[in-house]
Formats: sequence, structure tokens, C-alpha cells
Amino acid sequence: MSQTAAKDNQAPIEQELYKKREKIYPREVHGVFAALRLLAMAALLGFYYGMPWINWDDRQAILFDLPARKFYIFGLTFWPQDFFYLSMLLIIAAFSLFLFTALAGRLWCGYACPQTVWTEIYMWIERKIEGGSRKQKKRDQGPRDASFFRIKLAKHSAWLLFSLWTGLTFVGYFTPIRELWGSGLTWNLGPWETFWIFFYGFATYGNAGFMREQVCIYMCPYARFQSVMFDHDTLIISYDEQRGDPRGSRKRGTPSSSVGLGDCIDCGLCVQVCPVGIDIRDGLQYQCIGCAACIDVCDDIMDKMGYPRGLVKYTTENALQGKPTKTIRPRLLVYVSVLTFVSAALVYALWTRIPLEVDILRDRNVLYTETDEGLVQNVYNLKIINMDDQLHRYSLSVSGLEGLRVIGQTEDIEIVSGAVADLPLRVEIDPFALKSTSSEIMFHIESTVTPEIAIEERARFLGPVMR
Amino acid sequence: MPTLPTTRHDNNQLPVTQQIVSVMWPSFLTASVATIIFFTLFDPTELAMIGGFPNLTRTGGYTIGFFCFWLLTSVSCALTCYFRRPTNLRKPDEAPPQS
Repeated sequence: MSQTAAKDNQAPIEQELYKKREKIYPREVHGVFAALRLLAMAALLGFYYGMPWINWDDRQAILFDLPARKFYIFGLTFWPQDFFYLSMLLIIAAFSLFLFTALAGRLWCGYACPQTVWTEIYMWIERKIEGGSRKQKKRDQGPRDASFFRIKLAKHSAWLLFSLWTGLTFVGYFTPIRELWGSGLTWNLGPWETFWIFFYGFATYGNAGFMREQVCIYMCPYARFQSVMFDHDTLIISYDEQRGDPRGSRKRGTPSSSVGLGDCIDCGLCVQVCPVGIDIRDGLQYQCIGCAACIDVCDDIMDKMGYPRGLVKYTTENALQGKPTKTIRPRLLVYVSVLTFVSAALVYALWTRIPLEVDILRDRNVLYTETDEGLVQNVYNLKIINMDDQLHRYSLSVSGLEGLRVIGQTEDIEIVSGAVADLPLRVEIDPFALKSTSSEIMFHIESTVTPEIAIEERARFLGPVMR
Repeated sequence: MPTLPTTRHDNNQLPVTQQIVSVMWPSFLTASVATIIFFTLFDPTELAMIGGFPNLTRTGGYTIGFFCFWLLTSVSCALTCYFRRPTNLRKPDEAPPQS
């Protein structure tokens, strides 16, 4: 019986990508977790499609301006030199994933992964146009008549339009979206932008429209290694075999004990709603993305039968074996402490970040020169980058040796936001003040507008030793 | 003396589509990472100047860079895929060796 149920929502072989794939027609679900999933989907898609349109100080709030090699995130401007912050952010993301996986299993897969989210919205579009899963299946098995092609055409057009919008939004994170939209409407897109819109749009169309659960099962690296983060206290979705078996149908409202069966009425709905096409009653399987659709649908049936809910539920392996579940455990504490530490470090680093960078290059051709007055001179080339979002005037001074003198512009070095200034400088000193052939000197650069924006940079001063 | 199992057609081979995906997909992932790191360190317009393409835009540079990386990583994936075939492949009509 359960096997016929497993075949129930599957069509004849559609294509041979990995194993012979049978198209899955997941039945629509309603319930607590379906609502949560819908909420997550709305929030994430809303963020994705809406964010590029939000402005902050006359420019896009989040813009990874690759053409200008600058990242704008609200009030902050990041440069390639700030790669450090990105790597910290990646560490935070990785450890959050570890933490949530250890705690609650494949939360990411079920609720937040783009693959899941876009598959959901594509299935929603499919359902709106093609009807429910049974209708879809019937149509696919039925004749290829005019109405078949009309409906398929409508679905694919809707999918393609949505894909293009997705691609355009994606590129809108890198090129200002308002300009992009404008030039898109007048067919004036640049060649690279056009390419990426279609590339990303096509990838979305393929992944969310066709590949779906195959991406999770075969292609996703996380799906393969997430099991190492699992332990016996991790939340999993599981069928309560002790309570459910032996399975069998019975009339509504019949107490299970009176017919000598478990609580599972073997309706097969948990299989029909499954987006990856597994039977949760066969135990924990790596294909399970933890979407909890089977919980919702089973709870509904339990309500109708007058049995308690939770025949399929979020539980832990320990709980299934009747052992107590420990929520706080060493591995979680390690994840939490690493997360706390790195997040605090990131916040501190951002808080104390000085939007000014100086690179000092010594003139490589000559070590030093002697002037007519008998002074020793070194030549430097300073690259000053104003990483703040406003114009600054900087002043410069040098210290570290007695009697250093700077020849060149040291006051009112004006640099507009985001620009790099090349500043050639000569520094000279009386050779008798030198204690060694190579001494350390410091360049101080300070904004005259905001004195807090100031940095010091080390450099070497070369010269003869006179004693 | 024990011999390696005879393989008429190598039974451990993946289907062709799956081979293609197992070459293209991991190389796509690593190429993306390589592109991000590489272009954090180097400005594509400066590289284009050195390479003699002064008119290339940055977006163009990133795109070309990404596909070059993808080409390289997919070549190495493809070679791995190729070399993991056993070398003692026999022709279908060949008799199995006597042990």
C-alpha cells in the first residue's frame, strides 16, 4: 500500500539526468510549518527583489559596485582592501550554519536556501497556471492537444519572465538598478549586463523549474556533509514508528487499538506532499530537506481521525529511543563561542575602522641622494585613499628622527570621496642625525575636517652613517 | 596470483550527463571563489592594460576572468574524471584473463 502511495505522485520517467528521474508533483500543504515556510519565502524574496530599490544618501543602499571596485552597504563603503571584513563575515555565516544545523537539522535547506525558496515560488506559479498536483499529472499523461500546449506555454512564459526579473535584480546588485531598468526598457543594456541577466535568469529557470530536488540530492555540497554536524540531540523530522505501525486504513473515528493497528492510517499523504519524493516513514534519509510538509499534512489527518498530533514530528534520535534530549552540549557551546567572538571582533573592527588608507612606496631606483647642502634625501611616493563618503583635506607630518624635513605638499591635500591621490614626497635630514643605515620613520596623515580620521604608516629611511 | 576484475565496459562509470555535471558544477563553484579572491587583489582594468586590451571595461574583465577560471577548473575536473578510469579496460570481445 505504501508503495502504491509512493508512486502516486510521480509521473512516468521524464529525463535521465542522474538516475531515471520521475517528476515529482508535490501536493500543496497548509499548516503551521507551511505558513512558516511561506513567511520565510516572502521575507527572503521580498528582500532580494526589493533591496536594490532602496536608497540611502542618494545612492543604492546595497550596491556591490564592481565597475568602480567599491561596495556600498548602507552608510559604509568597502574597498578591495577591506577583504578582511568579508572573510570575517564568511566565517560568521559558516559557523551560524554549523550552529543551526547541529541544533535544528536542515533548517537552512527547508526554509532559507535559495534553491528551496525559488523552487517554491516556481511551483506556486505552476500551480496557479496548471492547477493542483493531480491536474498537472493528468495533463502530462494526457494527450498533447491545443490546451496542453497553451497551458505549458503560459507556464513557461511566466517562468521565463520571472527568471528575467530575477536576473535583472541580480545584476542590479552590481550596477545601479534604476539605470539598469531604464536602459533595459529602452533596449540599451551593455553587453556584459545583458549577458549576466540572461545567464542568471537561465540558471534560475533551470534550477527552480526543472532541476529542483535533484540539486539538493546530487549537487549540493552542504547536503552531503551536513550529516557530520548531526548528533543524537539534533532536531530531525521523523515518523514515530512505535506509535504508527502496523499501518492500515480504518473508518474515521475508530480507535487504533480496536482494530489492532497503529495510528498511521497509511493514507500516503506524507509521500504526496514531499518535494523530494521520499517516504518519511522509511526513517531518516539524506534526501530529506527538512521542509516539514509531511508534519503539516499528517497533523491534519490526525485531527480528522481524532488522534493526537505528532505522528510525524520534529524530534531527536534520543527522544525516539526514549532517552532525554540535551539541548546544551559541548559542540553547540564551541559554535556559539566562536560565533560570539568573531561577531564581536567584526563589530569592533567596523566600529574602529578608519576610512583612510595610505600606501608608501620608496623610490626603488636610488637608495638616497645627497643634496647640495649636504643633507640626505629619500624619495617616497604616497598613495592616499579616501575611503570615506565625503571630501577630506588631509595634513601630513613625519616623525621618528630628529630634524626630519618634508619637501612637497603637506597641508590641504584635498581628496574627494573614493579617490586615490598620488603624492610624491622628499624627506631630508642632516646625515649626522642618522644612527644607522636604515631607520624607521612614521608618516602621520590626519583629516583637518575630522581629526579622528588619522593614521600612521611606517616607512624606512636610508642613508649613510657618518661616525 | 590475484588479478584486477575484468571490466568489459567499466561498470563504475557514471552516465554521461552526470559526468558532465560532475565536471562543470564543482569547477563552477571553485571558479567563483577563485574569481572573488583574484579580483580582490587585482584590478581587471590594470591587467587589461598590461595585456593590451585598453578598452575592456571592468565588468567585461570580471566576466572574462570568471570564464577563464571556469575553463581551467573544469579542465582539471575533466582530467580527474578521465584518469579515474581504470587503465585495464578491455575490448568487449576480449576474453577475461586466466588467473
